[in-house]
Amino acid sequence: MEVGKVAGTADSTPLKFHVAVADGAYLQLDDVVTCTRDVPGVGKVVTSGIVTDVISRHEGASFGSDVFLIADGVMPAQVQEVAEVTTTRVDPELFVPPRPGSAAHRASGEVRDRALYFDQMDAKVPVGLGRDGQPVFLNLEFLDGTRGAHVSISGISGVATKTSFALFLLHSVFTSGALGGRQTNAKALIFSVKGEDLLFLDQPNSKLTDTHASVYSRLGLAAAPFASTGFFSPPAPGDLTGRPNVKGRTSGVNAFWWTLDEFCQRELMRYVFTDVEDEKNQYTMVVHQVAARLKADAVAAGNDGAVSIDGRHARTWPELIDIVCDKLTDDTNEVERRRWAGPVTGIGTINAFIRRLRSSERHLTPILRGDLPAAGNRQISTSNQQVTVVDLHALHDRAQRFVVGVVLAAETERKEAAGAGGLLFTMLDELNKYAPRDGSSPIKEVLLDIAERGRSLGIILIGAQQTASEVERRIVSNSSIKVVGRLDPAEAGRPEYGFLPASQRGRATLAKPGTMFVSQPEIPVPLAVEFPFPAWATRLSEVVDPTFSNSASAGGGDAAAQPAAADPFSLLPDLDGDDGAIAEPGPDEPPF
Amino acid sequence: MSVSQQARTRFHIDGWDPSYGSAMEDAGETSAVEQSSARVDVAVEVSGDAWAPIAPRTGLAEPDALVFIDGVRRIEARVWIPDALDVSAALGVAASYAAGALCCCPESGAHLLTAEHRRGMFTTDPAAGDLSTRAGDFVTHHVAADEVESPSVILSAALQRELATLELITAVNARTQVVAHGAEDDLLVIDGPLRGRDHLPRALGFIKTHRAIYLPPELNAVVASLRAGERTPVFLMGTSWDRHAWYLRLPCQPGSPWVGVVRVECAANMPASEAIRLANLSQVLLPKYASVEYKDQRAPQNLVPIAGLEKQLRRRLGDQRFIYRALQLAAHSS
Repeated sequence: MEVGKVAGTADSTPLKFHVAVADGAYLQLDDVVTCTRDVPGVGKVVTSGIVTDVISRHEGASFGSDVFLIADGVMPAQVQEVAEVTTTRVDPELFVPPRPGSAAHRASGEVRDRALYFDQMDAKVPVGLGRDGQPVFLNLEFLDGTRGAHVSISGISGVATKTSFALFLLHSVFTSGALGGRQTNAKALIFSVKGEDLLFLDQPNSKLTDTHASVYSRLGLAAAPFASTGFFSPPAPGDLTGRPNVKGRTSGVNAFWWTLDEFCQRELMRYVFTDVEDEKNQYTMVVHQVAARLKADAVAAGNDGAVSIDGRHARTWPELIDIVCDKLTDDTNEVERRRWAGPVTGIGTINAFIRRLRSSERHLTPILRGDLPAAGNRQISTSNQQVTVVDLHALHDRAQRFVVGVVLAAETERKEAAGAGGLLFTMLDELNKYAPRDGSSPIKEVLLDIAERGRSLGIILIGAQQTASEVERRIVSNSSIKVVGRLDPAEAGRPEYGFLPASQRGRATLAKPGTMFVSQPEIPVPLAVEFPFPAWATRLSEVVDPTFSNSASAGGGDAAAQPAAADPFSLLPDLDGDDGAIAEPGPDEPPF
Repeated sequence: MSVSQQARTRFHIDGWDPSYGSAMEDAGETSAVEQSSARVDVAVEVSGDAWAPIAPRTGLAEPDALVFIDGVRRIEARVWIPDALDVSAALGVAASYAAGALCCCPESGAHLLTAEHRRGMFTTDPAAGDLSTRAGDFVTHHVAADEVESPSVILSAALQRELATLELITAVNARTQVVAHGAEDDLLVIDGPLRGRDHLPRALGFIKTHRAIYLPPELNAVVASLRAGERTPVFLMGTSWDRHAWYLRLPCQPGSPWVGVVRVECAANMPASEAIRLANLSQVLLPKYASVEYKDQRAPQNLVPIAGLEKQLRRRLGDQRFIYRALQLAAHSS
């Protein structure tokens, strides 16, 4: 359909041109436009692009107040709209500018697919609907490591819906069939740091309407929750049965912890010291020394993972700290102290180590245990289900780092041993906390390793952060897929978002929840997409099954679901506004 | 239209900017300057001793559409056409001109009804042919040389005559188009004197500049005493042609005695009552379209629709530098 002609008032270049919109037609942002020109000796050259800006003005008016004269019918003027089109594809690749005066068409069907390179994608993953209501795809090859990997998602907490988009992307990857035979071996590991929003991924969403479902069908996806899920939460504090510390969901959640024996044997001590500034200090040598000592000297005591060092038992983390501190400050046995602290370590360095170790006491006590009965499913593992959610929200920042560091290192090791047979999508929010731009830490090393080597190992990092400018540059630059939701205006101006054209940068500052700009290597302009309302519950109140859970005081760990109370939701905390949860739409509003 | 190689006229472009050579911009309107002995009948509406400003009437039936007619001209270049021996050259003026009609009606607002543009080469050389350029052909208009007037004046006058003809064609076309878009009753407002166009029914001439004083001094004082929106009584005046006329003061900032005063004309061959009706109507209609000082250097007389129409027409003349270059190129290859 012809919508206008290439305008000659602004320079037309092979990469950007302007289209004057004809009377009775319109062009909106993100519309796909093509125009053709005959090049002597070459033939037809089709230039396709995306509308990145549209202006409308009164031609003939020179003062702002002229508009009133025009409206009153006193002054003649014409309303003219001009769309700025950023080229996505020139076919064949002969970079000639479209000529002013040539007809511009709105692309649909095959022409649109060609303009957006969808025709070249062997396996494509739907990521949402474009503004024109047609599906927009990602090339799987840039996601699964074939030609690129990793996803970086940026946006303001609360409105950018980063987590929701990441989950939708996982849903799309797992159920679109793009993975083919690799689908069964594709896993996702999700670290959830905000609330219990992600503990209901396996439940249908009661707020999902037919309209929402139709979006899924337009994308060729099933409007269904995640089929294969596993949930891990830390043990409830003060509870000696190993019950998970969750409120909304009472069944199907496993408590996870590490035994003190594991802690010693796997040398996990370094993940206790994961602050960036830790690495700059002298006492890191003490950390390694103590870790080596624990591995050599600690012996398992009992079946619950307690350890015994030189006859002293440690069933809890504070007890283990006491033993280590005593070893380091034992003035009566200089030989032993040197063995634990290192031969030439000064007393100041030792004290710095002890101070840091002591400060971890309270935060790590819930997850480093030797006092809980052994449970077979306490170890976080992705092997038994497709989607594994590790709920960290109840843990202190320091404990969160410990868990992320240990789990990621373990998964990386496992993948190294197993080879790149299957894919592991690792979703981590607040990446800026784990891999900040400056400094170094064990977790950052693990993440950098994943970013740089994960592509060949089959580990795909889906990192989300408020500000990409605060994340280690090498991680962002290694991400083939860059996604941006609502951005802070100051943040949008940073060079990390240079892949967004100026107009999209402006738009990103007012993007609605549910709208994302997706940049992929093949398409030179990021595509704006709207992804559908979650088909899975994002909070307890959205769970369809009324017998799913009952009250906040329910206990029982893996126990069967309790009978439903009269009003199962009355005691729930209001989770609205939490990042990741899409706010409930009003009656007259679209889902986002 | 193409000009064959053989018939191609040789010419040179005058290096001076054409705007310096156009001292006679308004040749068509200047003929009245010498007509100091204009016949004036002041008693068409009221007798001479009863002359006083007339306030606008209310409750008049307004026309469905008000159509403004105007033309613009631009001298693109002055050219010299050498004779066969290359010893002397005749002056020519290459000009673009356009005329258009703008309809102001409640349905569509102010909109362009029709516009025509032409390019012409006006010369006193009887042998000159058309000029063919990248910007189109300049059709030659041969003008007889005059012993008294300088060539530039008579060429400019000839251009003005062509423009007036084009305006007349436009006015006739506009009328049929207005009827086509549903306006039963229209009123034409022609920028400039009605001369030569007074056969058009329901037409007003709108004169912004005053080059002569037609009224006797005691009645002239009435003009100076007009307040915004007021007009003088209708009078009949005859110079080289007859018409009804009246003075009208448009709303404006107070200033000199004649600030904001325009002369409005209509045909002489209509009954006095009809002329008075048109005069009353003009009093109601025209002040609505008056421009304001900070937007228009010719405010308030340069009506907003006419200014807009001129802008549209100038656009149609094309880019001046491009056309000048096209002429230079054509001169070079001639």
